[in-house]
Amino acid sequence: MTKKKPLQLFARLLGNERWQFITIPAFSILCSLVAISVIILLIGKNPLEAFSSLLAGAGWIAKSNYAGGKAAFTDFMDMLDAFTPMLFAALAVTVALKSGLFNIGVAGQMLLSGFIATVAVGYSDLPSVVARPLVLLIGIVVGAAAGALMGWLKDRFNIHEVVSSIMLNYIFQYVISFFIKTRYIDPVSRQSRMAAASARLEITDIKIAGVTTHFPLGLVLALIAAIGIWFLLAKTKTGLELTATGLNAKSARYAGIRTGRTLIIAMGISGALAGLAGVTYYLGSVRSIIPGELTSVGFDSIAVALLGNTHPLGNIASSLLITTLTSGSTYMSSTVGVRQEIASLIVGMILLFSACGGYLKLWVQRATSEQLPDKGSESVHPRTISGQEEQA
Amino acid sequence: MSEVIGVIGAGGKARPDSAAESDVILELRHVTKRFPGVVANDDVSLSVRRGEIFALLGENGAGKSTLASMVFGMYEPDEGQLFVRGTETRITSPAEAVALNIGMVHQHFKLVSNYTVAENIVLGDEPLRRVAGVLPWLDMRGAEQRIADLSARYGLEVDPCAVIENLGVSAQQRVEILKMLYRDSEILIFDEPTAMLTPQEIEHLLNIMRNLRREGKTVILITHKLDEIKQVATRCAVLARGKLVDVLEVADTTTAKLAAKMVGYDLALTIEKKSAALDNAPTVLQVDHLTVEDDNKFPVVNDVSFRVRAGEIFAVAGVAGNGQTQLADAIAGLAAVKSGAISLDGVDLTQMTVRQRARAGIAYIPEDRHGMGLILDLPLLQNLGLKSYFHHPFSQRGILQTEAFEHHARRLIDDYDIRAGQGPRTLTRQMSGGNQQKAIVAREVELDSRLLIFVQPTRGLDIGATMAIRRRILDQRDSGKAILLISLELDEVLALADTIGVMYGGRMQKIAPAATMDRYQVGEYMMGARASTSASASTSTNASISPNTPATSAAPATSAAPEASAAPAEVQAGTGTQQG
Repeated sequence: MTKKKPLQLFARLLGNERWQFITIPAFSILCSLVAISVIILLIGKNPLEAFSSLLAGAGWIAKSNYAGGKAAFTDFMDMLDAFTPMLFAALAVTVALKSGLFNIGVAGQMLLSGFIATVAVGYSDLPSVVARPLVLLIGIVVGAAAGALMGWLKDRFNIHEVVSSIMLNYIFQYVISFFIKTRYIDPVSRQSRMAAASARLEITDIKIAGVTTHFPLGLVLALIAAIGIWFLLAKTKTGLELTATGLNAKSARYAGIRTGRTLIIAMGISGALAGLAGVTYYLGSVRSIIPGELTSVGFDSIAVALLGNTHPLGNIASSLLITTLTSGSTYMSSTVGVRQEIASLIVGMILLFSACGGYLKLWVQRATSEQLPDKGSESVHPRTISGQEEQA
Repeated sequence: MSEVIGVIGAGGKARPDSAAESDVILELRHVTKRFPGVVANDDVSLSVRRGEIFALLGENGAGKSTLASMVFGMYEPDEGQLFVRGTETRITSPAEAVALNIGMVHQHFKLVSNYTVAENIVLGDEPLRRVAGVLPWLDMRGAEQRIADLSARYGLEVDPCAVIENLGVSAQQRVEILKMLYRDSEILIFDEPTAMLTPQEIEHLLNIMRNLRREGKTVILITHKLDEIKQVATRCAVLARGKLVDVLEVADTTTAKLAAKMVGYDLALTIEKKSAALDNAPTVLQVDHLTVEDDNKFPVVNDVSFRVRAGEIFAVAGVAGNGQTQLADAIAGLAAVKSGAISLDGVDLTQMTVRQRARAGIAYIPEDRHGMGLILDLPLLQNLGLKSYFHHPFSQRGILQTEAFEHHARRLIDDYDIRAGQGPRTLTRQMSGGNQQKAIVAREVELDSRLLIFVQPTRGLDIGATMAIRRRILDQRDSGKAILLISLELDEVLALADTIGVMYGGRMQKIAPAATMDRYQVGEYMMGARASTSASASTSTNASISPNTPATSAAPATSAAPEASAAPAEVQAGTGTQQG
């Protein structure tokens, strides 16, 4: 009994349902950092040093010294370079998940839209005022078309979106690889030729207080997209149709929602976001395409979306966290001597612990109310009984 | 309060008699269980005798499930004591309850669907043998034999080798019973066991309970169905709002008396019904030669024709699985129509979408409340707006108007007495079954449609809620709506119908005014026993199939396949009209 006391106190700390969406992920992250600290200690390094070098590498805190014209601000902008496509991609996964679909084809959709935008605009002489909006437009249209295709295949032929998107990933990957190798190859780098600076979604060589930096144009758009998707899902008619179909397709059909159409719309929106991720990636910080390779952003985004509790605004936080870890890891390995892979390990640990979030929630619920939530009969639910009390 | 004391007195009466004392297998003394803000069981004292069928009666939320859950170790009482076989016991988990030979069949079965019956039963208690003294070996053969023996002994009729997903609800329930028997349970708790069963299956289950009793088992039956108690139970404890009202010898009481105890006042078990004036009433729903096929191309609804007039309750009786659900789905637009036509107020609906039909004037209270009628993970206010979210005032230029939803929900909650802990924002999943159904009924009735389809509207509801919904159906009829009522409960059909249609094997066997049919006639049609119409129906099926067979077999030879297949289609249409 005495052992139970601090546990209950802790449970009450996490128990406030209003704040659980933030307290539980925070607790999961804390747990994983503790676990990782143990591992870093075991390999004989200082975990605090490792973490601070991670943060320094991502530009959150200052490094001990910088090369000429660089500052923490530069590193921070580098991190935001990676953050922008990650947020778009995570939103793509989120929209699909909220609609009951699993878009595992984000990487393929990114590649397709990035490639088409590079070829159509990146190699042209269009001035940036025309080129940049055109790149974004291509990203949206091509991505949406690729996504909607999967939705249509599911609606028309009952092909599961996971199967079709994995297959299409391969098709995009190899067909595009063929074109790059035969037409757009840079003989030196063995990658596609660099896209013109005027088409890139990035303002380079800005000088602020003697520091050279750059600014990802997609960043603002990505943040707007996160808010926009939140609004779409929570406040609009279409959003209600998407969530209703995602939660229970049979009920949605009963309510008169054309679930087939909803499916195509959901995959279309998801694809459009993936397309934006593609152009902000391939025409953002990365300026060329490696033939025959899908970017890991597409797959990491699934984890990021889940870590963000498949909430559009939660995705902002989770994308920031994951990109901080990945972009800080190079500096960590060079200064502390902790291998870069540790960053992936941290990401994995965080995901593992946040997967336990559901259990934690259940546990908190039990500890605070001493009640079994999975009890079969509804009639014993306190709310029901309180309803009965009102009757009395 | 005086009643509670009376019961303790009744328990006390047994005490001086030492023979009766040993007869008590389970005793609860002053048991109280509180949930945050609520007292689920308030100072309940009762004793269950060895070898009796002891019923716990009460409305939804009266605390009967909580009480049984404490016996099965799912909760611990906050106050009071529990005696099993005369010794005070604390049961802190279901595993401990099983060790004390207490078993429970839950409302929702806990079975692995792709395992066999025997595998499910031995799960967690596998019969291990050592081959040559060392190698562990799962003795499935022996387990199957033992299960088959148990099944035969108690009349359960379960094949130990059948796979769960191929079994119906009733058979799965019997597997749960076998699970308890396999673990040598002496006290068997049934939580609302008949809620999902057809009349025949209920009969079978009650027989099983009698067998259990004959073999010396003690049965605790949680129910709110009075006639079941009357049929099998020896004694009955009535609970209301967590308190024990009384314990009665079933043989000495009447169902009316039980009902009065349960709700706390005398309740009219029959509904006053004005007879409908239908002679000049316009036809609202017209169904012509409707055929619906399932995924295997089997005609689950086969050439069904009927009409429902304004101010009429057309009740479809039938045993579960004879095409009633598919008929309702087809009218609402949720099942594809193979052939035939559906029209509402003379407008043909057959090609319309679900929403077009709803807007044309069809409200639908479906059988599957959780799977279809509601989206459990959405709050109540959105579920109440599920059929109207897309138009004014709920949506404006594609943006949802939260205040409109809230206002609408508050009004319906008041008007239809829906009880939801947190008002419109309550997650629908957290509401009780009765209130969930009230919410569906409220939403659909508010659509003010010409036709209302009710499928199993009162299944699993307590008497109070059942009566409220039945009255609501009659009110709708009296206000000139056409009602299509589909129910498996014959009592419901007989209580409400103006016209009765009986479905069997996908066909409408008989349509007649309710006044001209009695319970037994309807029952005979339900079982397909009266074959007068079905005989002619089957000949017409033969007639339409036989010319078809040579035509299709001849097709490869003659190459004029399209013409050949067109001819029998005409024949089919011809026989169809003749029959109609």
